[in-house]
Formats: sequence, structure tokens, C-alpha cells
Amino acid sequence: MRTIDYSIEPPVVEQNPSLSSINESIAKPLETKPTKGWYIAISISLTMLLIGAVSLGWTFYKGVGVWGVNQPVGWGFDIVNFVFWVGIGHAGTLISAILFLLRQRWRTSIARFAEAMTIFAVMCAGIFPAIHTGRPWLDGYLFPYPNQHALWVNFTSPLLWDVFAVSTYFTVSLVFWYIGLIPDLAALRDRTTNKIKKVVYSILSLGWRHSNRHWQHYEMAYLILAGFATPLVLSVHTIVSFDFAVSIMPGWHTTIFPPYFVAGAVFSGFAMVQNVLIIIRKVFKIEHIITLDTLEKMNKVMLATGMMVGYAYGMEFFIAWYSGNPIEQFVFLNRALGPYAWSYWIMVSCNVLFTQLFWFRKIRRSIPVMFVIAVLVNVGMWFERFVIVVTSLSRDYLPSSWGMYIPTIYDFGILIGSFGLFFTLIFLFIRTLPVVSIAEVKAVLPNSQPSHGGHN
Amino acid sequence: MSSEFKIPEKKNISSKTKFLAFGLFGLGLLLSIIAFVVDSHRALANYNVIFTFLVSIAVGNLFWFAIEYLSGAVWSTVMRRVNEIFISFIPVVFVIGLLVLFNTHSIFHWAHEEAVKNDKLLQWKSPYLNEQFFTIRYFIYFLLWILFAYLVLKNSLKQDDVKDQIYSYKNSKISALFLPIFAITLTFFSIDFLMSTEPHWFSTIFGVYYFAGTALSSIAIVTLAVILLHEKGYFGDILKSDHFYNLGALLFAFINFWAYIAFSQFLLIWYANLPEETFWMIHRWEKGWEIFSFILIFGHFLIPYFSLLSQQAKSNLGRLKFMSIWILVMHYVDLYWLVMPSLYKEVVFGWIELSFVLLGIGITLLVFVFRFERIKNIIPVGDPKLKRSLEFHL
Amino acid sequence: MENKPLYSVAATFDDVNKLIKAVDKVNEAGYTIYDVHSPYPIHGMPKAMKLKPSKLGFVTLIFGLSGAIFAFLFMYWVNVIDYPLIVGGKPFYQLPAYIPVMFEVTVLSASVFTIVWMLFIMFKFPNLSHPLLDTDYMKKVSVDRYGISIQAKDELFDLVKVKEFLKELGAEEVFEIYFKVDELKDKPKIFDKKFISFLALTTVIVSGITYFILNHLLFMSPFNWMHEQFRVDPQTTTTVFKDNFGMRNPVAGTVARGHLPYPFKGNPADAEKFLVNPLIPTKQVLELGKQKYLTFCSPCHGNFGEGDSRLRGQFPNPPTLHSDKLRNMKDGGIYHIITDGQNVMPSYASQITEEERWAIVHYIRVLQRSLNPKESDLR
Repeated sequence: MRTIDYSIEPPVVEQNPSLSSINESIAKPLETKPTKGWYIAISISLTMLLIGAVSLGWTFYKGVGVWGVNQPVGWGFDIVNFVFWVGIGHAGTLISAILFLLRQRWRTSIARFAEAMTIFAVMCAGIFPAIHTGRPWLDGYLFPYPNQHALWVNFTSPLLWDVFAVSTYFTVSLVFWYIGLIPDLAALRDRTTNKIKKVVYSILSLGWRHSNRHWQHYEMAYLILAGFATPLVLSVHTIVSFDFAVSIMPGWHTTIFPPYFVAGAVFSGFAMVQNVLIIIRKVFKIEHIITLDTLEKMNKVMLATGMMVGYAYGMEFFIAWYSGNPIEQFVFLNRALGPYAWSYWIMVSCNVLFTQLFWFRKIRRSIPVMFVIAVLVNVGMWFERFVIVVTSLSRDYLPSSWGMYIPTIYDFGILIGSFGLFFTLIFLFIRTLPVVSIAEVKAVLPNSQPSHGGHN
Repeated sequence: MSSEFKIPEKKNISSKTKFLAFGLFGLGLLLSIIAFVVDSHRALANYNVIFTFLVSIAVGNLFWFAIEYLSGAVWSTVMRRVNEIFISFIPVVFVIGLLVLFNTHSIFHWAHEEAVKNDKLLQWKSPYLNEQFFTIRYFIYFLLWILFAYLVLKNSLKQDDVKDQIYSYKNSKISALFLPIFAITLTFFSIDFLMSTEPHWFSTIFGVYYFAGTALSSIAIVTLAVILLHEKGYFGDILKSDHFYNLGALLFAFINFWAYIAFSQFLLIWYANLPEETFWMIHRWEKGWEIFSFILIFGHFLIPYFSLLSQQAKSNLGRLKFMSIWILVMHYVDLYWLVMPSLYKEVVFGWIELSFVLLGIGITLLVFVFRFERIKNIIPVGDPKLKRSLEFHL
Repeated sequence: MENKPLYSVAATFDDVNKLIKAVDKVNEAGYTIYDVHSPYPIHGMPKAMKLKPSKLGFVTLIFGLSGAIFAFLFMYWVNVIDYPLIVGGKPFYQLPAYIPVMFEVTVLSASVFTIVWMLFIMFKFPNLSHPLLDTDYMKKVSVDRYGISIQAKDELFDLVKVKEFLKELGAEEVFEIYFKVDELKDKPKIFDKKFISFLALTTVIVSGITYFILNHLLFMSPFNWMHEQFRVDPQTTTTVFKDNFGMRNPVAGTVARGHLPYPFKGNPADAEKFLVNPLIPTKQVLELGKQKYLTFCSPCHGNFGEGDSRLRGQFPNPPTLHSDKLRNMKDGGIYHIITDGQNVMPSYASQITEEERWAIVHYIRVLQRSLNPKESDLR
């Protein structure tokens, strides 16, 4: 049996690096020529983006009729992808805000990256509500502005709440991310020798001068922002769940949807962050900053949230039986045994069964295994949304209006394109901005804070 | 363990407090017995409310105990003994619950055979809602809770003497196992004892709703106990304002969490407007019950939210003490609001209710005093995290 | 020191504990206008510098609450006053459904304004001409050194003394930091030509884009296949027929339903003589007549046929329908006037079907009888 020493605080960063070496290792990718591998990676992601752009162009040209959506199943891949990407986006704010409030210091090394991922994922998500109307040039009407028709949006529709939630979430995440970047941009400004970069960094860092009179307010602002981002992150996926749950569709209208969606979002987001971080730390040789311990903690979070999702699956089934409502019961049996049973079982096995492997410490600390499990988690979470959307719509109250949903090549093209956009943005991000927060990592290094004498 | 910090000697509880505990318990018991004689139906319903309230406190503390081990939190280590005192309530609560178990007939509509005979829905539910299975489930819940409570308390107390880290490790493992079991047992417990008082109604979020109240009320009672002990000097001067700040922050967080869950449940039912669900909400919005609904909206969310919003408030001892009492009262109102409207068409609140509240306070105080006398150290002196806990700062 | 634009004297330290001690000493010595620089926030530093707790929370509270109130009032105004619309059987005012949007607007306004307030009002950013920027001192404190900078503005400031003092505290290096002279002279003016033209350009661009989006972009429909359907529009050619005419003549010797030729065109006398009302004035017929009368006739003839036009002189007022001439005219005559027109009144044959015309005639009779009842009606 292995014992841990509980009497000392586990270090966030390994090998006890010096403060200046932190600047070196984090700024290195920004100051060197990209490697061959990076070019290969970005060309793959750009190709995917192009596939998406072509599919999207064809969709605009011909209309949403080229998708697989039909009369009973009016929501298909568009809403599935939307919920999926919004969910991915949740880990970022969770890591940066909730773990900040809980003072989990291991978050510092991954927070910046996770926040960037949030922004990119929300951008990917934002595409889908915009295009699913089929006439994206009319999306301006989604916002309440005094227009010449003298019409107002329906403030009581969950779809309108979505507009508010997603745009607020995007804005606040962007502000949060930028606020964190300011000191780092100032540090880059002070070290760069390139004139153009210097101008850019100077403008972006707004003249930050590491003053402690500023740090005081800055920390307060960060705390306030974290305090707001936490309920915000809950509210966003809650409102996304309202899209389904306020309706009277069997299988959609269950009261557990809000927390269940939030847990699922955190679950898939952590899986995505973990996947990408594993690659980043390897490529940039910052394994001592993004440590194996950090990854292990992420796996524990995945285990916990995975079980919460499993709890919700179970609860839905139990209450469907307990309610005595035959339609509700049919929907859940149909999920597990009906024509889309394969997707249901992919969902259950990826989300609930495989993650149970994280009970074992060996697996939590084995990089290839955790990578595969996290990929499977994302597959499972994508299928979760597919199951919710498609099974309920294809088999609702009236058997006479049942129908099957078969996605077309354009549906898949747009899905691939959204991944292309996401990874392209990530590849550009890691070449242009520090992927780890320099200031925050420095603040948690050993000996970086005064030993506790009189001042605290 | 640490030479820099003086671990305070354990003092005994003053005889005045003991007298108060006995007095409250005695008075509560007397009044409750009178209430049973006067209106046994209403008395039993109230008894159920108090029982579920005590479960919240006892099992909720076991949850927080597990969370401390799993998250590696150090600030709470110093006050963990208080946590453990409340965990040791579980066997007592088990005994208290037996009375509910023997009187399902007067509390639960589904336990009436003639009612089930004429009700298709209840017939459908009878494989789950029947007295035999109900009893079996009761024993399963408490068996598991007592088992886990016994294991973790044994390890924690042993560590005081042996001072071996292995016990921390063992407790972490047990805590990890406990959490999924906690989630399932607490959910079904809430369905059995609270939701099934209105057997026609259902809500998938109900377990989470009860959990939110449980987590909130158990952190509130720990806050209250720690502040009272601190003020009486039981902790010496080892508790800093940062420790209290964390308690305040947790209270604040779970006030929000409760509101979030409660609002989610309400909005979905209100919006979809399905008669099979709304009748439950409507019933709590008419015939005087709306007073309780309003008390919950303001008292369980808005007032505590704004009084704990600022940073200073979260470590202000007077404010914290008041708010933790306030929240305990609100949790009682919450449970009352869940149970009583299911049994009474029109609002009922009077001396019967208050005498059971008195009984609940008396039991809590009495068990606390008894347990406090038994333990050797008020601080887990053998815990390896203790030094870090004492040095804790934000 | 008098004419030299000295900003401050700054010193770097290599250890955070040394820094904290140094800050204590600086406070003890009585300096008040100084600053501490470090690459990351240091715990306990605000206390050591004796800074007051940040008041940023109040800004957040005020903007958060005003966001919530604004969102509530706006939605209330839209849903209850300006555009009341029943959706899903819910009342106009429905607080539960407002809460999500209220929450989002609260978060948005609170967090964005907190940051804007902090950066632009408290810190007075962007400030790229601060004397500390671009100094060797700044380059050190942004990496791994901690610095104290005592400003020349301080009452106790004395260049030599301060330098000595800082060295005594264990400073690694001491810097003198000067204002940048050219930037000191360069005072921004509101009526600067460049600034004004920048403003003007921004205004033009922003309003142009807004105009384009609101008035053009929102009405563009790049690919709207619904507009283009497989059918022959009037006045267009087609390849279906040999002669390429899209509009066809009816087959010889046939008449389309409801399009029988009107034989009394320009011949009111014969119409009155030969046409007979085929309808019996039942309740339904009169209802139909009333409806059609109110739609087509009443704008000029008035709701009760008194010639009181609603057109306010834009069209000549017709005479009353209660004249003796009209009352004595046979049904066929009135029918003819509706069908063929009379004086400035045009033909309504294309708008009102034959049956409806006869129904209107019955209704006009009702109106006439209501003003000039027969003996039998009064009994």
C-alpha cells in the first residue's frame, strides 16, 4: 500500500524551476520558428475546416434541406453539435473560476489553456444556432433591438435565453481570459526584441507595470469575475437544458436536466482539456509545469462527473417507471432497446462504464490509457446529446408521425468543420500567446510567497 | 504535534449547558407526547419532518467529512472533530426513525390499502411503495451510513493516539467509496420519506434538491457549533478569521446552489404546465401555504444571499452565527414545506409544530453534549494535515 | 532635482521576504508615494503597504443591480406594454420566465463594467507613456526581481537620501527613473486635427456599417429558392407551348366558371327590367351582404348608406342610398350599378362575386327600410 505524505503541501510545479526559467519555457514557442509537426497539424485542421466551409456553403446555397432533418426530427446534428461544443467550453471556466474559488492551486498551470479552449469551443458552438435557421443573414433578429417591423423577440422562450446566455458567456470568458493575459503580455513586452511584437504586446498589455497597487485591485477583480463566472457557467448549460426541459416532449421534460447537463458539460470539457494538454506538454516540453499530478486530478474530476451523469441516467429511468406515465416509460425503453439503442449503449459505456477505470491509480497516471478514455468520453458525450435529441423526436406521442433520422454527408461535413475550426484556433493560439499563465505559475512556486510572519 | 501552536486543553461542557440540553429535551418530549395524544396524525407528520432534518445534519456531515479527505482540504482539519460529533448522530437518528417506520400508515397515503385499491397509479407504484420494501430500504440506508460512519470515525480517533498517516490514507479510500453510495442512498431516502408523502407526484431532481438542503444545513450547524465553541474558548486562539471565511464561503455557495436547484425544479414544472406535476406546486401556492413558499424564496435565498455577499460578512462571527441559525430554521421550513402540504389542505402551524422543533433542538443538544464528553481531543491531534491546517491562510 | 524631470528612484530585490521587510521600513520612514513592483501578486503585500481594501466590489454591485433592474423593466415594457403577445397560454407578465435573461444581463453588466472601471478609470489605462515602462527596472521586475519605487513627488523625497536608504535595505540595484521629456511636452488636445478626423472617420464607418446591416444586410436573401418556383408567371414566355405564349386563351366555345359575360353592359334600363334577384333574404344572405357592404361599399357610401364617406374628401362623396330614386329602383338596377359602375363609381365585378352582389342588394334594402319603414314594419 502506498502512502502519501499529508503533512506537506504537494507542489504544483515539479523540479523547482526558477522564476526566469518560467518565462523562458513558456515564451519559447512564441519566439521560435514552428516545427514541421505544427505545420502538419495545422494543415490537417485547416483541411477539416475547409470541409466544413464547403458543407456550410452548400447548406446556405440549397437550404437546410440538404441536412438529414425531417418532419418529426426537426433538430438533428445542428443542436447536437451546439450542445456538445457549449459543453466542451464549460471546463475552461470551471477550471479558471470554480477551482480558483476553491483555491485548488493545481489549476494555475492549466487555467489559461482551458480558458482559451472555452472561447474557441463557444465560437464553434455559436455557429450552429446561427446556421440552423437556414437563413443566417437574418440572425440579427435574434437580438432585441427596435426594428422597423415594431416586433420584439419573445423573452420567454428558452431559445432566446440561449442567445443571451451564450453571448454573455462568450463575452465574460473573453474578458476573463484577457484580464489574465494582461500581466503576461506585459512580461512578453518587456522581453521581446522584435519591434512589431513589441508594439503589439504594448498595446495589448495597456501599459501594465506590475504595480502592487494594481495587483491588489486586479486580484479583487479576478475574484469577482470568478465569482460571477461560476454561476454563469452553471446558468449557460442550465439554459441549454431548458431548451429541452421546458417542453413537454417525453424524455426531455425531466426536472433533473439542469444539473445533469452541467455535470455532463464539465465532464466532456475536462476530457477535451486533458486530451489537448497531453499533447501540448509533450510537444513544448513543459511536463514539469503541467504535471502528471495535475492530469491525475483531472481524471478524478472526470470520474466524479462521469458518475454524476450516470446518476442522472439512472434517475431518469427510475422516475420514468415511478411516474406511472406510459409515454415517459416508453421513451426510456425505446432509448435502450429501440432503433437507436446502439447510440444509447455507446453513450452509457463511454460515459459511465469506461470512466470507472479511473478508480485505479495506475490507470489515472498512465498517459496513453487516460488519453484513450478521455477520447471515448467525448464520443460518449456527443452521443448523449444525440440520444436525447433524436430518440425523443423520432418516437414521440403519436405513432402515426414517427420517423427516423439519418444524417447526410453535409451534417458530417459541418461536424468535421467545427472540429477543424476548434483545432485551427488552438494551433494559432499556442503560437501567438502564452499557453500557461506566467504570473499565476510564478505565484505558486515554492519560496515565491513570503514565509508567514506577521502579514496575513 | 506542532510546537509553534498551542493546542488547547479540552474543557468539559459547563453544567449549565447540560442542564439546558436536558431541559429542552425534556420539555420537547413532554409537549410532543401531549401532541401525540391530541392529534397523533399531525404529530407524526411533524415527527417525520424533524427526523428528516436530523438525517440532513448527521449524514450531511458524513458527506463533508468525505469531501475533506477527497479534496485534500486542510483548513477544515482543525475543526473536523465537530464534524465527527455530528456524524456520530447517525445511530441515534436511526432509532428516532423507527417510530416513523412503525407508523407509515398515518404519514404515507400509499400505505393505506383501501386507497391503493382505488388508485391505478398507486397500484403501479406498489412494487416500490409498500411497507415491506420501505422497511428493508430503511435498514439498508442506515446500515450503510452507520457502517461508513463507524469506519471513518474509528480511523480518525485512532490517529489521535497512533499518529500514523496510514489512517488518513484509509479514510481517503473509504470516503471515495462512500460518495457514490451517499448519492444513491440519500436520493432514495428523500424519495421515500419526503417525496412519497405525495405519492402521485414525481420529480427527477428531488434527490438533488434534498441534497442541497442537506449540504447547506450540515455546514450551517458545523459553523454554528464551531463559533459557539470558539467563543467559549474551547478552541483557544487557533481559529483564524480565514477559517471562518471558508465556512462563510461554503454557506454562501450552498445558499446559491439550493436556490439554483429549487428554481430549476420550479421553472421546469411551471413552464411545461403539465397537470401531473403542477398540482404539487399549485397546492403549495394556495390556502395559506403560499406564506411558506414566500418564506422560502426570501428566507432561504434572498436574505441570506445578501447578508453573506460581501467578503467581510463571510468572516464576521456575529453575522455567521446568526445566519447559520437562520439557515437551520430555513431548512426546517423547507422540509416542513415538502411534507405538510401533502397531508393538509390548509395551512397548519401551531404549538404542535413548535414542540417538535423544541424536541429536535433538545435531541441535537443532548447528543452533542454526550458525544462531546466522550471524545478525548477537540482537535484531531494526530492528523498529519493539522499543522498545515493551523497555518492556513487565504 | 528641480528642472530634471525625475519620476522616482527604484530598487530591485532578489528575495520576497527581503522585499516585505523593505516595504515595512519604507513605511516606517514615512514615505507615502511609492509603489512596489513584482512579477506576480504577493500575499500580504496590500497589508504591508497599508493599502485600503479594494472598493471594486461596490462597482460590481451597482452595475450588477442596475443590469438586473434594466433587464426586468425592459422585458416588462416589451411583454406587457409595447408588444403584448400570448405565448403558450402564459400571462403577459411572467416573472419566472424573466429570471434567466435578468440573470445573464446582471452578470454581463457587472463583470464587464467592473473590468472597464478597473482598467480605464482606476488604473487610467491605456497608458503607454508611463516613465516606468521600457526601463531596465521594469524588465527586471517583470521576470524575477521585486522592486520598490519611491516617487519624487513624495514630501520626504531627497535623491541622495533615498538612494542610500534603499541600498541600506539590501537592494540589489538602484535605478533613477526619469520622465520621457518628449512625451511630457506632448499634451493631447481635444481639438487636435488628427483626433478630430479620427473621430469623424470612426463615426462615418460605424454609422455606415450600422446602416448597411439594419437596412440592407437584414433584407438580403442570397439564396432563397422559395422565391423561384416551377410555374409560369403572367406576361412571360414558356417553352411548353409552340407559340411560346405563357398566357393561353380559353378553349373555343367555353366559359370559365363564374365568368359568364354580362349582357347588359352600358344598358342600365334593360338590366333593371330583366334581372331578378335570385336570393331570398335569409339571415345568412343578409349577414353576407352586410359583410360585403361594410368591406366594399361603406368607405364611400357610409356604414348606413347615408353617403357619409370616410375618405375625408379624397374622393367625391356619393349621394345617399335613401333617396326616393334608389328606393324605388328595382333590384336589377342596383345590381347593375355594382357590376358596371356609374359616374365616378367603378365596376366591382372583379372584386365581388355575383352572389355577393345580390346579397348586397338585399342588405341595401334593409338599410333603406330601416330609415323609411313601411306601415307593416311599424306594427
